[in-house]
Amino acid sequence: MSGELDAAVQALLEHSLGAWRVQGKIRREADGTLLIATANKRVRVARAPAGLPFRWAVADGERRRGATSVTGVLRHVRTALDSSYRSVRLRIAPLPPTP
Amino acid sequence: MIPVAVLTGFLGSGKTTLLGRLLRHPDFARTAVIINEFGEVGLDHDLVEASQESFVELQTGCLCCAVRGDLALTLEDLLRRRDAGTVPPFERIAIETSGLADPAPILHTLMSDAGLAKRLALAGVVATVDTINGLATLERYPQSIKQVALADRLILTKSDLAQAQCADLAARLTALNPTAKRLQASFGAVDPAHLFDMGHPASLRARDLPAWLGLDGHSDAPAAGHHAQISCFAILRDEPIKAVVLTLFLEALAEHCGADLLRLKGIVNIAENPDRPAVIHGVQHVFHPPVWLDRWPSWDRRSRLVCIGQDIQQAWIEALIDAIEAEVAEVAAVGA
Repeated sequence: MSGELDAAVQALLEHSLGAWRVQGKIRREADGTLLIATANKRVRVARAPAGLPFRWAVADGERRRGATSVTGVLRHVRTALDSSYRSVRLRIAPLPPTP
Repeated sequence: MIPVAVLTGFLGSGKTTLLGRLLRHPDFARTAVIINEFGEVGLDHDLVEASQESFVELQTGCLCCAVRGDLALTLEDLLRRRDAGTVPPFERIAIETSGLADPAPILHTLMSDAGLAKRLALAGVVATVDTINGLATLERYPQSIKQVALADRLILTKSDLAQAQCADLAARLTALNPTAKRLQASFGAVDPAHLFDMGHPASLRARDLPAWLGLDGHSDAPAAGHHAQISCFAILRDEPIKAVVLTLFLEALAEHCGADLLRLKGIVNIAENPDRPAVIHGVQHVFHPPVWLDRWPSWDRRSRLVCIGQDIQQAWIEALIDAIEAEVAEVAAVGA
């Protein structure tokens, strides 16, 4: 396991709170879990236990979700914290512009 | 491929005058024009002197919202009539939006329709800005900000009448879109070649890339700009970026920024193919597939992404790339 990745994910989540205009704090607990605390939410982000087809586990209260990548973590965390969030899917145009 | 230029600009900013001059130029006589008017039927149509057969007017509303399907159908019909010989064999198409239009949905139509993409290629976006009223317009109308932010070319109109305001307006335009090339036009007089030669990725030669990215050769990034919630900044990466990192990054960017990502363009050193830079270009959540250039424009092989967005923070984007890169590196290390 890479401490570099854990630090990068924490930094990403900290910047994300600001970008989403969500008031909250993030702290790392003794077992390495990241706790995101806002006025009315507690969201936990941890590495998924071995043997599961996920790399990450995101818990929003009693609701637990797996994520296969940090972008999945980001999606679950935002869904939990930002009720106005509606995700937009990337679309690739069929052909490049070739005048 | 038939190039399509989108001509936008706020009400009264001189779009029609510019178009009229373009169509009177002998080199650009073979231009089909699609005009959209919002509210005032046919006014622009009457003002522009050009071949009537190649004119199409959309009267069902504003191009930016309800009539995107109409635009695709109109373009298909225009191509059919060209093939059948019932309109002159036009060599390019200009779409003049209404003054209130947000050009992004129009670009999405041109980028996303598979049928149109076989024959039409987006040449770029030209926005006219009235030198006299431009500053006030940018302050009052969000649509005008988006028109400027999405442009490849900014044409400053009526510049002969308002020299005093030029410096303030220029500063504001730099803040909104430092990468767009800026030209001045008096009574619509501007070299029409600039309207169809905007250097979009596939037509770029390596040496043209710095200009397309707004880099002047002396700096690594375009002049960072900020206007209200619109900001422009550049992301530089020293190390090559793995293809999967770029894919995950663009997906996350589209997912979280959506319509706030007005434009992203850049040159990327892909780790799997480091000798050929990939040029990427997207408007909001719609991206062209990467274009691979034959070679790098200079010795500098760093990846450079220029982002113009609304309420998008550079630090968040940097952190996003860092986290994705760290995860991909960790997965690779575990698998090795």
